[in-house]
Amino acid sequence: MSDLVFVRDKEVVIPGQPLARGKMRPGKDVYVDESGTIRSKKLGLVSLKDDEVSVVPLVGAYIPKEDDLVIGIVSKISGNTILVDIRSPYQGALPIQRRAERVDMRKYDLRIGDVILAKVRSFDGASSLILTIDAEGLGKLEGGYLLEVDPAKVPRVIGKRQSMLSILKEATKSEIIVANNGRIWVKPPSVKELIALEKALKKIEEESHVSGLSDRIASLLSQELR
Amino acid sequence: MPLYVERKPESLITEEGIRTDGRLPHEMRPIKMMVGVLEKADGSAFVEWGGNRILAAVFGPREVHPKHMVLPDRALVRARYNMAPFSTPERRRPGPDRRSIELSKVIREALKPAIFTENYPGSVIDIFVEVLRSDAGTRVAGINAASLALASAGVAMRGLVSACSVGRVGNFIVVDPNHDEDMWGDSDMPLAMMMESEEITLLQADGTLSEEEFKEALDLGRKAIRFVYEVQKEALKRPYYLVERRVV
Repeated sequence: MSDLVFVRDKEVVIPGQPLARGKMRPGKDVYVDESGTIRSKKLGLVSLKDDEVSVVPLVGAYIPKEDDLVIGIVSKISGNTILVDIRSPYQGALPIQRRAERVDMRKYDLRIGDVILAKVRSFDGASSLILTIDAEGLGKLEGGYLLEVDPAKVPRVIGKRQSMLSILKEATKSEIIVANNGRIWVKPPSVKELIALEKALKKIEEESHVSGLSDRIASLLSQELR
Repeated sequence: MPLYVERKPESLITEEGIRTDGRLPHEMRPIKMMVGVLEKADGSAFVEWGGNRILAAVFGPREVHPKHMVLPDRALVRARYNMAPFSTPERRRPGPDRRSIELSKVIREALKPAIFTENYPGSVIDIFVEVLRSDAGTRVAGINAASLALASAGVAMRGLVSACSVGRVGNFIVVDPNHDEDMWGDSDMPLAMMMESEEITLLQADGTLSEEEFKEALDLGRKAIRFVYEVQKEALKRPYYLVERRVV
């Protein structure tokens, strides 16, 4: 079989579009059909790295992974479980148990509507999604604003080696927590910075597939905060 | 006394093969597609196909309600086809009827093979197809719209599903039958395919077709669907090209 790549790096592809055949290895969000052709599973951007071809989705729901950081909203408290909406097809469960290693039981004093930062402790791929807040920095978030982006854009908001996130933090002098489920908690010094952040996030969502995004975000922020 | 009286045209097709709307047998009606038209849906599409105006919305994968419908190993796919009361010449009674329940089923089954349902166990993907204006061939236009909406929602798929109708009027096999041909033609055959693998996901037929006619119809349908697929591809990629052009 000949070695062929049908697409350019960073090209927009649609589900089913043939990407490559031959020696290339299938990476994420692609599948191999009966004839051995690697095809895209999703609407996204092609990523060609060495001999691996994968697709970076442009949109999509949040599918939990173990050790992911998520921002959830408490939706129900029943018995010894707190149910948390994490903006995903699966609802998070936060068990309340008294355990020896538990540092601070006051963390569990939550009400419906509270916003919490949690970590995915275990997820079996379907029904059981267990969260935890037993670690430094996790727990109820207070006094900020909750913004949202498409979960597929989270890597763009963070950037390579946190480059985008540090641009956002420095320019707006804000505390920012980006969670894997696309929720972003911000604590800006004033409303001006909040509006600038909202505009910047919207721009990241819209233009993430065009290169030079960091520069455009930096100039947008300096314009907004002048 | 009905306000609207349907009149059958004297002939549906001339000897030269000119149809009631002036098209040739192998000519399709104009098609326009766009995605991302609804803010609140995870994915959406709008299709103009001749006189048809169809809106499709996709929600999901999301949590299943009611809970007893959950499938533990794959995603549940639900589809609803609905015609607006104002979509037909005379007011249509709102709500599901025998026809729209059937169409919901065939649309769901035409799209389901394209979705990697095993990637989203225990969740649901809801598909809504709303016909705002109908002019023959709403089910195929609906499938095209719904397939675009699914892709624009970021759902993992084997490929887009494209669809088109073919029919027979007298001795002619015609592509994309119009209202008159749908009403009084000899046969009508809606077809849906995953164009990349050429797998058929929907094939229905009204009226009669001989074996040769069926083969000719299938062949013509495949050609038409290939064209529809090109329109779909362009519609999905267009928003990203537009942004690119604005930015660069």
